[in-house]
Amino acid sequence: MVFTTAVNFVRSRGPDEFWRKRRIFRLAAAFYGRKRNCYSIAVRYVHRALVYATKGRKLRKMDITSLRQTRVQAACEQHNINYETFREGLTRSDIMLNRKTLADLACWEPYTFKALTDIALRRGVDDGLINITKTESLDRIITRGSLQSNK
Amino acid sequence: MSNKHLFLIPGFIRTPLQNGVGRYVGQLQRVVLKFCKNNGSSRGMREFIESGLVNFANENPGVVVYLKPRRHRTAVIKAEYLNGDSQWINCRNFTQEEVLKWLILLKSQSKNATGTRIKKLWHTDHPSIQGPWTPYTFRDPELNLVEFPNDILSKPAIMERSSQDELIELFNNKKIEELESKRAE
Repeated sequence: MVFTTAVNFVRSRGPDEFWRKRRIFRLAAAFYGRKRNCYSIAVRYVHRALVYATKGRKLRKMDITSLRQTRVQAACEQHNINYETFREGLTRSDIMLNRKTLADLACWEPYTFKALTDIALRRGVDDGLINITKTESLDRIITRGSLQSNK
Repeated sequence: MSNKHLFLIPGFIRTPLQNGVGRYVGQLQRVVLKFCKNNGSSRGMREFIESGLVNFANENPGVVVYLKPRRHRTAVIKAEYLNGDSQWINCRNFTQEEVLKWLILLKSQSKNATGTRIKKLWHTDHPSIQGPWTPYTFRDPELNLVEFPNDILSKPAIMERSSQDELIELFNNKKIEELESKRAE
């Protein structure tokens, strides 16, 4: 007779100690000194490293977002418009581009980015977000409602 | 971004032997459904076996389905693929719809992809078409020959409309309105 359920009631610790500790030592391979070689010390530092890795995933996203925003801000300040007005002008013109795409365009396709700042500028002047004297150079930029407002 | 973590193994998305280009061969070889005959956590699994299992087996003639009733053990799906690797899904307290969904997922996979970090295939040698931004991209070359102090360049680049300008414009508009109303009379 084979009693398969009886195995569930056994409470031995089992021969896993080597493998259990190996899981920690593999993660501590690049640490310094006893943190790398001694289990009870390594465990503490491995747990801290894992906590830092968990927290860092959120921080990485925040860092990259702020980097992209800085780049877009620098690029649109060069074209005499500020970041908030730029984003507002684009969304009002139904151009839904995120920070990532805008930053990539600003770095790699500068003339496309200038065209986007022109659209945002025109929209801003039409809607009253930007308060500058209207020049002829502004009239050459045509957005959706600008022809009606000219009349 | 970093490859130093040891949990995930990086790899591209691949199919074995261009599967699907010509003929598609389902990569799931066999599926073992283990369940307990009377514990409540296996209820969904038992219900699936009673109702939906035969349909699943008939629709997938290439997959061998085994049933293993194991008392006092939790319900489990074990899947084995044609390339030899196996996958183990704990079905404790699943509903029968959930069991079916997992089986359909396993059927569509070609290997056990848990623990794989998918690498992206895109690469370009020419990231820029217009030319990348340089500090000289939007600088007028005439600035090379300018002598400072310069009257035009010393003024601000953009002049915001002052309230004085707006008042003047309002006054002029009012004047024009009065003139036109007089002409109408």
